Amino acid sequence: MDYYETEEDSALVSSDFKTAVEGVVGGNVYQHSRVKQWNSSVIEQCLSQLNKLGKPFKYIVNCIIMQKTGAGLQTACACFWDNSTDGCCAVKWENESMHCIVNVFGMAI
Amino acid sequence: MSDLRKEKLQKKDKRIVKLAVEGSHGARGKDTTFRTKDSISTVSCIDELHHDDNARIGVAIENTYQMGPDKRFSVAALTDILQDVLTSYLQEERYEVEWSQKMTKTICEVIRARVKDLLIPRYKIIILVHIGQLNGQSMQMDSRCLWDTSNDTSVSYSFKNRYLYGVATVYAIYVE
Repeated sequence: MDYYETEEDSALVSSDFKTAVEGVVGGNVYQHSRVKQWNSSVIEQCLSQLNKLGKPFKYIVNCIIMQKTGAGLQTACACFWDNSTDGCCAVKWENESMHCIVNVFGMAI
Repeated sequence: MSDLRKEKLQKKDKRIVKLAVEGSHGARGKDTTFRTKDSISTVSCIDELHHDDNARIGVAIENTYQMGPDKRFSVAALTDILQDVLTSYLQEERYEVEWSQKMTKTICEVIRARVKDLLIPRYKIIILVHIGQLNGQSMQMDSRCLWDTSNDTSVSYSFKNRYLYGVATVYAIYVE
Protein backbone atom coordinates (compact mmCIF):
# COMPACT_ATOMS: atom_id res chain seq x y z
CA MET A 1 0.00 0.00 0.00
CA ASP A 2 1.31 3.43 -0.80
CA TYR A 3 1.39 6.31 1.60
CA TYR A 4 -0.25 9.29 -0.02
CA GLU A 5 2.12 12.07 0.84
CA THR A 6 5.19 12.34 2.97
CA GLU A 7 6.06 15.80 4.13
CA GLU A 8 8.41 16.35 1.18
CA ASP A 9 5.87 15.10 -1.32
CA SER A 10 3.23 17.39 0.09
CA ALA A 11 5.52 20.40 -0.12
CA LEU A 12 6.60 19.53 -3.66
CA VAL A 13 3.06 18.98 -4.80
CA SER A 14 1.84 22.24 -3.21
CA SER A 15 4.59 24.22 -4.91
CA ASP A 16 3.67 22.57 -8.25
CA PHE A 17 0.07 23.59 -7.75
CA LYS A 18 1.04 27.13 -6.80
CA THR A 19 3.07 27.36 -10.00
CA ALA A 20 0.11 26.06 -11.97
CA VAL A 21 -2.24 28.63 -10.45
CA GLU A 22 0.29 31.41 -10.93
CA GLY A 23 0.74 30.41 -14.56
CA VAL A 24 -2.96 30.50 -15.33
CA VAL A 25 -4.22 33.35 -13.21
CA GLY A 26 -1.16 35.33 -12.13
CA GLY A 27 -1.05 38.96 -13.13
CA ASN A 28 -4.73 39.03 -14.10
CA VAL A 29 -7.58 41.03 -12.67
CA TYR A 30 -10.74 39.09 -11.80
CA GLN A 31 -13.01 38.85 -14.84
CA HIS A 32 -16.30 37.05 -14.58
CA SER A 33 -16.26 36.11 -18.25
CA ARG A 34 -12.91 34.36 -18.00
CA VAL A 35 -13.09 32.77 -14.56
CA LYS A 36 -14.66 29.52 -15.77
CA GLN A 37 -11.85 29.00 -18.23
CA TRP A 38 -9.24 29.81 -15.56
CA ASN A 39 -10.80 27.32 -13.19
CA SER A 40 -10.75 24.56 -15.81
CA SER A 41 -7.12 25.28 -16.72
CA VAL A 42 -5.95 25.25 -13.11
CA ILE A 43 -7.72 21.97 -12.38
CA GLU A 44 -6.52 20.35 -15.58
CA GLN A 45 -2.91 21.27 -14.90
CA CYS A 46 -3.10 20.07 -11.30
CA LEU A 47 -4.63 16.75 -12.34
CA SER A 48 -2.09 16.16 -15.08
CA GLN A 49 0.75 16.84 -12.64
CA LEU A 50 -0.77 14.34 -10.21
CA ASN A 51 -1.19 11.83 -13.01
CA LYS A 52 2.50 12.17 -13.89
CA LEU A 53 3.41 10.98 -10.39
CA GLY A 54 2.25 7.58 -11.60
CA LYS A 55 0.99 6.38 -8.22
CA PRO A 56 -2.01 4.05 -7.80
CA PHE A 57 -4.30 6.76 -6.49
CA LYS A 58 -7.65 8.31 -7.25
CA TYR A 59 -7.59 12.10 -7.10
CA ILE A 60 -10.18 14.80 -6.52
CA VAL A 61 -9.24 18.40 -7.26
CA ASN A 62 -11.53 21.21 -6.16
CA CYS A 63 -10.81 24.83 -7.12
CA ILE A 64 -12.49 28.04 -5.96
CA ILE A 65 -11.75 31.40 -7.53
CA MET A 66 -13.45 34.24 -5.69
CA GLN A 67 -13.41 37.95 -6.31
CA LYS A 68 -12.07 40.08 -3.46
CA THR A 69 -14.82 42.22 -2.02
CA GLY A 70 -14.18 41.67 1.67
CA ALA A 71 -16.73 38.86 1.84
CA GLY A 72 -15.95 35.96 4.13
CA LEU A 73 -15.72 32.30 3.15
CA GLN A 74 -15.37 29.27 5.40
CA THR A 75 -14.55 25.80 4.12
CA ALA A 76 -14.44 22.52 5.96
CA CYS A 77 -14.10 18.91 4.93
CA ALA A 78 -14.88 15.63 6.64
CA CYS A 79 -13.59 12.32 5.33
CA PHE A 80 -14.24 8.67 5.91
CA TRP A 81 -11.14 6.94 4.56
CA ASP A 82 -7.97 5.09 5.47
CA ASN A 83 -5.81 7.56 7.30
CA SER A 84 -2.56 5.75 6.65
CA THR A 85 -2.85 5.77 2.87
CA ASP A 86 -5.07 8.72 2.01
CA GLY A 87 -4.54 12.42 2.42
CA CYS A 88 -5.42 15.91 1.37
CA CYS A 89 -3.65 19.13 0.58
CA ALA A 90 -4.92 22.73 0.34
CA VAL A 91 -3.17 25.42 -1.65
CA LYS A 92 -4.11 29.06 -1.28
CA TRP A 93 -3.12 31.83 -3.64
CA GLU A 94 -4.22 35.43 -3.96
CA ASN A 95 -3.53 38.67 -5.73
CA GLU A 96 -5.10 42.15 -5.41
CA SER A 97 -8.39 41.21 -7.06
CA MET A 98 -9.08 37.58 -6.22
CA HIS A 99 -8.54 34.53 -4.03
CA CYS A 100 -7.83 31.07 -5.36
CA ILE A 101 -8.11 27.97 -3.19
CA VAL A 102 -7.25 24.50 -4.52
CA ASN A 103 -8.14 21.41 -2.46
CA VAL A 104 -6.63 18.11 -3.50
CA PHE A 105 -7.64 14.72 -2.10
CA GLY A 106 -5.77 11.53 -2.89
CA MET A 107 -7.05 8.06 -2.10
CA ALA A 108 -5.13 4.86 -2.55
CA ILE A 109 -6.66 2.17 -4.69
CA MET B 1 -10.20 39.27 4.16
CA SER B 2 -9.48 38.41 7.79
CA ASP B 3 -12.03 35.58 7.58
CA LEU B 4 -10.05 33.98 4.84
CA ARG B 5 -6.84 34.38 6.84
CA LYS B 6 -8.42 32.63 9.80
CA GLU B 7 -9.62 29.90 7.51
CA LYS B 8 -6.14 29.57 6.04
CA LEU B 9 -4.57 29.28 9.50
CA GLN B 10 -7.15 26.71 10.50
CA LYS B 11 -6.56 24.67 7.43
CA LYS B 12 -2.82 24.90 7.88
CA ASP B 13 -3.16 23.62 11.46
CA LYS B 14 -5.17 20.69 10.26
CA ARG B 15 -2.54 19.74 7.75
CA ILE B 16 0.41 19.98 10.09
CA VAL B 17 -1.25 17.85 12.75
CA LYS B 18 -2.26 15.24 10.22
CA LEU B 19 1.33 14.79 9.11
CA ALA B 20 2.39 14.31 12.71
CA VAL B 21 -0.06 11.41 12.99
CA GLU B 22 1.29 9.81 9.86
CA GLY B 23 4.77 10.09 11.30
CA SER B 24 3.66 8.29 14.41
CA HIS B 25 2.13 5.52 12.34
CA GLY B 26 5.52 4.99 10.73
CA ALA B 27 7.14 4.74 14.15
CA ARG B 28 4.56 2.23 15.22
CA GLY B 29 5.53 -0.07 12.39
CA LYS B 30 9.08 -0.26 13.67
CA ASP B 31 8.28 -0.61 17.35
CA THR B 32 4.83 -1.80 18.24
CA THR B 33 5.16 -0.88 21.90
CA PHE B 34 5.52 2.81 21.05
CA ARG B 35 2.64 4.62 22.66
CA THR B 36 1.05 7.06 20.34
CA LYS B 37 -1.75 8.27 22.56
CA ASP B 38 -0.23 11.76 22.75
CA SER B 39 -0.18 12.28 19.01
CA ILE B 40 -3.70 10.89 18.68
CA SER B 41 -5.00 13.30 21.29
CA THR B 42 -3.41 16.14 19.33
CA VAL B 43 -5.28 15.11 16.22
CA SER B 44 -8.52 14.70 18.11
CA CYS B 45 -8.61 18.36 19.10
CA ILE B 46 -8.69 19.29 15.45
CA ASP B 47 -10.86 16.47 14.23
CA GLU B 48 -12.83 15.06 17.12
CA LEU B 49 -14.25 12.03 15.33
CA HIS B 50 -10.85 10.58 14.44
CA HIS B 51 -10.53 7.39 16.48
CA ASP B 52 -7.76 5.47 14.80
CA ASP B 53 -6.30 4.11 18.00
CA ASN B 54 -5.93 0.43 17.04
CA ALA B 55 -2.40 -0.62 16.14
CA ARG B 56 -1.98 -1.09 12.42
CA ILE B 57 -0.54 -4.61 12.43
CA GLY B 58 -0.23 -6.17 8.97
CA VAL B 59 -3.25 -8.47 8.85
CA ALA B 60 -3.51 -10.82 5.91
CA ILE B 61 -7.08 -10.56 4.67
CA GLU B 62 -8.37 -13.16 2.29
CA ASN B 63 -9.03 -12.03 -1.24
CA THR B 64 -12.74 -11.50 -1.88
CA TYR B 65 -12.41 -11.73 -5.70
CA GLN B 66 -15.05 -9.03 -5.87
CA MET B 67 -15.03 -7.22 -9.23
CA GLY B 68 -17.38 -4.37 -8.41
CA PRO B 69 -19.54 -2.89 -5.69
CA ASP B 70 -22.63 -4.85 -4.58
CA LYS B 71 -24.46 -1.66 -3.75
CA ARG B 72 -23.89 1.80 -5.21
CA PHE B 73 -24.77 5.22 -3.84
CA SER B 74 -28.08 6.63 -4.97
CA VAL B 75 -27.66 10.19 -6.20
CA ALA B 76 -31.21 11.04 -5.16
CA ALA B 77 -30.65 9.86 -1.58
CA LEU B 78 -27.43 11.87 -1.30
CA THR B 79 -29.08 14.99 -2.72
CA ASP B 80 -31.89 14.63 -0.21
CA ILE B 81 -29.42 14.40 2.65
CA LEU B 82 -27.51 17.48 1.49
CA GLN B 83 -30.66 19.48 0.92
CA ASP B 84 -32.12 18.50 4.26
CA VAL B 85 -29.00 19.30 6.27
CA LEU B 86 -28.15 22.58 4.54
CA THR B 87 -31.70 23.89 4.69
CA SER B 88 -32.22 23.00 8.32
CA TYR B 89 -28.91 24.50 9.49
CA LEU B 90 -28.73 27.59 7.29
CA GLN B 91 -32.31 28.74 6.88
CA GLU B 92 -32.78 32.32 8.16
CA GLU B 93 -29.19 32.54 9.45
CA ARG B 94 -26.84 35.49 9.03
CA TYR B 95 -23.17 35.16 8.21
CA GLU B 96 -20.88 35.59 11.23
CA VAL B 97 -17.25 34.52 11.34
CA GLU B 98 -17.11 32.29 14.44
CA TRP B 99 -20.58 30.94 13.87
CA SER B 100 -19.85 29.95 10.30
CA GLN B 101 -16.53 28.36 11.29
CA LYS B 102 -18.34 26.09 13.72
CA MET B 103 -21.26 25.57 11.36
CA THR B 104 -19.13 24.34 8.45
CA LYS B 105 -17.53 21.73 10.70
CA THR B 106 -20.86 20.75 12.22
CA ILE B 107 -22.57 20.41 8.85
CA CYS B 108 -19.61 18.34 7.57
CA GLU B 109 -19.89 15.94 10.47
CA VAL B 110 -23.67 15.68 10.27
CA ILE B 111 -23.58 14.93 6.55
CA ARG B 112 -20.80 12.38 7.05
CA ALA B 113 -22.80 10.61 9.77
CA ARG B 114 -25.92 10.49 7.61
CA VAL B 115 -24.04 9.22 4.56
CA LYS B 116 -22.38 6.54 6.69
CA ASP B 117 -25.84 5.54 7.95
CA LEU B 118 -26.73 4.53 4.39
CA LEU B 119 -24.40 1.57 5.15
CA ILE B 120 -22.96 1.14 1.69
CA PRO B 121 -19.83 -0.95 2.06
CA ARG B 122 -16.38 -0.49 0.49
CA TYR B 123 -16.79 3.21 -0.15
CA LYS B 124 -14.60 6.08 1.02
CA ILE B 125 -16.49 9.30 1.59
CA ILE B 126 -15.33 12.90 1.33
CA ILE B 127 -17.56 15.82 2.26
CA LEU B 128 -16.72 19.43 1.43
CA VAL B 129 -18.78 22.28 2.84
CA HIS B 130 -18.39 25.97 2.03
CA ILE B 131 -20.29 28.78 3.72
CA GLY B 132 -19.79 32.26 2.34
CA GLN B 133 -21.06 35.75 2.86
CA LEU B 134 -23.11 37.43 0.15
CA ASN B 135 -21.33 40.65 -0.64
CA GLY B 136 -21.93 41.13 -4.31
CA GLN B 137 -18.79 39.18 -5.18
CA SER B 138 -18.46 36.80 -8.06
CA MET B 139 -16.98 33.36 -7.70
CA GLN B 140 -16.55 30.09 -9.51
CA MET B 141 -16.21 26.69 -7.89
CA ASP B 142 -15.08 23.71 -9.97
CA SER B 143 -14.13 20.19 -9.25
CA ARG B 144 -12.62 17.42 -11.33
CA CYS B 145 -11.72 13.87 -10.44
CA LEU B 146 -9.43 11.14 -11.65
CA TRP B 147 -11.38 8.01 -10.74
CA ASP B 148 -13.42 5.09 -11.97
CA THR B 149 -16.59 6.57 -13.48
CA SER B 150 -18.56 3.36 -13.23
CA ASN B 151 -18.16 2.99 -9.46
CA ASP B 152 -17.45 6.46 -8.07
CA THR B 153 -19.85 9.32 -7.79
CA SER B 154 -20.24 12.83 -6.50
CA VAL B 155 -23.24 14.96 -5.58
CA SER B 156 -23.40 18.66 -4.89
CA TYR B 157 -26.07 20.95 -3.47
CA SER B 158 -26.11 24.69 -2.97
CA PHE B 159 -28.31 26.77 -0.72
CA LYS B 160 -28.78 30.53 -0.61
CA ASN B 161 -30.63 32.98 1.59
CA ARG B 162 -30.48 36.77 1.87
CA TYR B 163 -27.20 36.89 3.80
CA LEU B 164 -25.18 33.82 2.98
CA TYR B 165 -24.79 30.85 0.70
CA GLY B 166 -23.80 27.30 1.47
CA VAL B 167 -22.43 24.64 -0.88
CA ALA B 168 -22.01 21.01 0.12
CA THR B 169 -20.40 18.28 -1.99
CA VAL B 170 -20.14 14.57 -1.33
CA TYR B 171 -17.63 12.34 -3.15
CA ALA B 172 -17.97 8.58 -2.86
CA ILE B 173 -14.96 6.54 -3.94
CA TYR B 174 -15.06 2.77 -4.31
CA VAL B 175 -12.26 0.82 -2.68
CA GLU B 176 -11.16 -2.11 -4.77
